[in-house]
Amino acid sequence: MAEENAAQHQSHGPSSGGPRPSGPGGGRPGGPAKRGKRNFVRKKKVCRFCVDKADFIDYKKAEILAPFIQERGKILPRRMTGTCARHQRWLTVAIKRAQNIALLPFAAEL
Amino acid sequence: MEERQYDLIFICRPDTPEAEIDKVIATLEHVAAEKGGKVESVNKWGRKRMAYRVRKLREGYFVYMVIRSSHGEVVKELERRLKVADPVIKYLTVRLDEELKRQEKLKRHRERRAARRPRKTPAPAPSMPGTTDQAAAPPTAPAV
Repeated sequence: MAEENAAQHQSHGPSSGGPRPSGPGGGRPGGPAKRGKRNFVRKKKVCRFCVDKADFIDYKKAEILAPFIQERGKILPRRMTGTCARHQRWLTVAIKRAQNIALLPFAAEL
Repeated sequence: MEERQYDLIFICRPDTPEAEIDKVIATLEHVAAEKGGKVESVNKWGRKRMAYRVRKLREGYFVYMVIRSSHGEVVKELERRLKVADPVIKYLTVRLDEELKRQEKLKRHRERRAARRPRKTPAPAPSMPGTTDQAAAPPTAPAV
């Protein structure tokens, strides 16, 4: 009886790292249960423009755009920078404008 | 028709005397006025290094202007003038009013949401102690 009660208590409680007491991950309540072989932790990248709450990306500020291009002048993809889709869309336009007025390079010079 | 706003940037040869650049700016202002637009601001960025070589030059004198006009004719004429102007090596015109309008809209939207948020936050707050109580309960159960 007591055992059953205890089990019920545990199952009713919020998922704190799985119902089994021997289960791993008890230190992080509410965290997603890890499964599979490759469970390396990747740091979540956050869109820099969302953090700044940018409603507009100015093509005239080359120093803001510079971190989003490669050494060779290519625009970095979203998966590298963590920029959200909407801001990446604006960012590309801004970079292309800046390139046209020689604020940013099209390609690295020889 | 509503008014449009344009950014106009042009680059002069770095060795152009200041007076020459002022003359170019003056002509552009004149042309804009003639075509029914107006130059809202002129901002000389001065000598800057260009990201790549233009006409074998590495540096240029940047001038940034904001132009307002109700139609695109002004831009056509301004670009023609810039093309024939001797000291000018590069120019760019960008229509910005639509983007600025979008920016305004998003800003208003954000402000409205920010105004609404204070009323929203107290609601989930009372439920928080309940969840913490439940979370506290299971650890005590195995102990008993």
